[in-house]
Amino acid sequence: MILLEPHNYIIQTTLAEKFTKPSSLDVQFVDFDGVRFHLSTPERKSALLLSMHIRCWDELVRYGAQEVLQREYGPLVQAQPEPEYNVSLVIDLDTAPPEGEERDNFVKSIALLKRNALAAPFELAFTKQKELESAGDGQGELTAIHYRDEEAIYIRAAHDRVTVIFSTVFREETDRIFGKVFLQEFVDARRLPTIQNAPQVLYTNRDPPLEIRHVPGLRDSEDIGYVTFVLFPRHFNNPTVAAGTISHIELFRDYLHYHIKCSKAYMQSRMRHRVAEFQKVLNRAKTEAATSTERKTVTGRTLHTR
Amino acid sequence: MSNVLRPYLAAVRSTLTAALTLENFASQVVERHNQPEVEVGKSKEVLLNPMIISRNENERVLIEPSVNSIRLSIKIKQADEIERILCKKFTRFMMQRAENFIVLRRKPVKGYDISFLITNTQTETMLKHKIVDFIIQFMEDVDREISEMKLSLNARARTVAESYLIAFNP
Repeated sequence: MILLEPHNYIIQTTLAEKFTKPSSLDVQFVDFDGVRFHLSTPERKSALLLSMHIRCWDELVRYGAQEVLQREYGPLVQAQPEPEYNVSLVIDLDTAPPEGEERDNFVKSIALLKRNALAAPFELAFTKQKELESAGDGQGELTAIHYRDEEAIYIRAAHDRVTVIFSTVFREETDRIFGKVFLQEFVDARRLPTIQNAPQVLYTNRDPPLEIRHVPGLRDSEDIGYVTFVLFPRHFNNPTVAAGTISHIELFRDYLHYHIKCSKAYMQSRMRHRVAEFQKVLNRAKTEAATSTERKTVTGRTLHTR
Repeated sequence: MSNVLRPYLAAVRSTLTAALTLENFASQVVERHNQPEVEVGKSKEVLLNPMIISRNENERVLIEPSVNSIRLSIKIKQADEIERILCKKFTRFMMQRAENFIVLRRKPVKGYDISFLITNTQTETMLKHKIVDFIIQFMEDVDREISEMKLSLNARARTVAESYLIAFNP
């Protein structure tokens, strides 16, 4: 599994299970970027209430998340979300689509709740780009989504492109160095003929890119990096392509950090193996006397020689 | 093993073998103590001249002999930031397991990446030439291991970047 999937697996499997066998439940779970979910049956077994808490909800509402969710889920969206959560959906199992492909698609669309909420500012930027393109010049306003404590996504539309900037913090030095290697490969990978169509990727460490240099409150330290994606109209002209681009780019930060963690885990297992090999070499040096069986006293105590 | 590495390792091997002439020697300073003199450093007359065998400015071995113990410190090659971090992680990983590696020191000597301390008890209970073999094998493998880890990191990064970007293809 190299690529991460945009939908939430727990929502998908739980819903699919409850469709076949409704029962009462109350589960809380999380997703990337500190998103919290609560899935419960407060009134009856066949009405599921799915609530989501997302850190940057106020910003998302400002960029039209409410409309996007309304469009995707229609009457499912509750006017009054559950306390402590930002948005609630009620899924009535009785009125849901019949079994088969239709139901799978329905379940899948519910599982994409987080993706759809985060999609709003991207969609806004894509429409803005269309307007600016017909006007021929100009730039849209800079949209900032603080989706994590110290990290943010910045989006800006221009007449010929949409720029998406991720700021990302590397907590420890190993992450920072591994991150640098990975991001350098992102920059270099575009030279391959098969990925010429991919968006251009730029990477800067410490210094924010020109587009967001005026933004107040940017941290100036060694552990922060900025990744810029330049999306061209070919990435979002067609609605299906645009949807794919959004799902994909939203997960960039998680994808990068996931693979940094994976490489660290791999290094660890490799070192473990190598150290075991060294241990074997050293054990060959031990003479019979040194490796002889443990000697015990009558009371069961062992003798140790060092 | 490359041709450049061989004379370096041969020099370390012969120096270490020559230096490993240890005997039991009780402390002259504290009664009924028997400590590795190279670590204590209280009686100057039992310490021998330290030797540095260096392959280049980044790779060297320091051998500090004394009457009943010998300390060997290795500076591992670190060409760039990645190698530096991998080397740090690897030596840390080993030193955390120092009790299994009887001859390994928990902390490196200043200016070096990893240190070994061989005492006279160890040369008595273990085969001397096999201890030397272990240290030479370690020096040989650690460079290779670090460069392999670096290569695998780069290869993974490339695959990750390519599979992410290729998904943008309409």
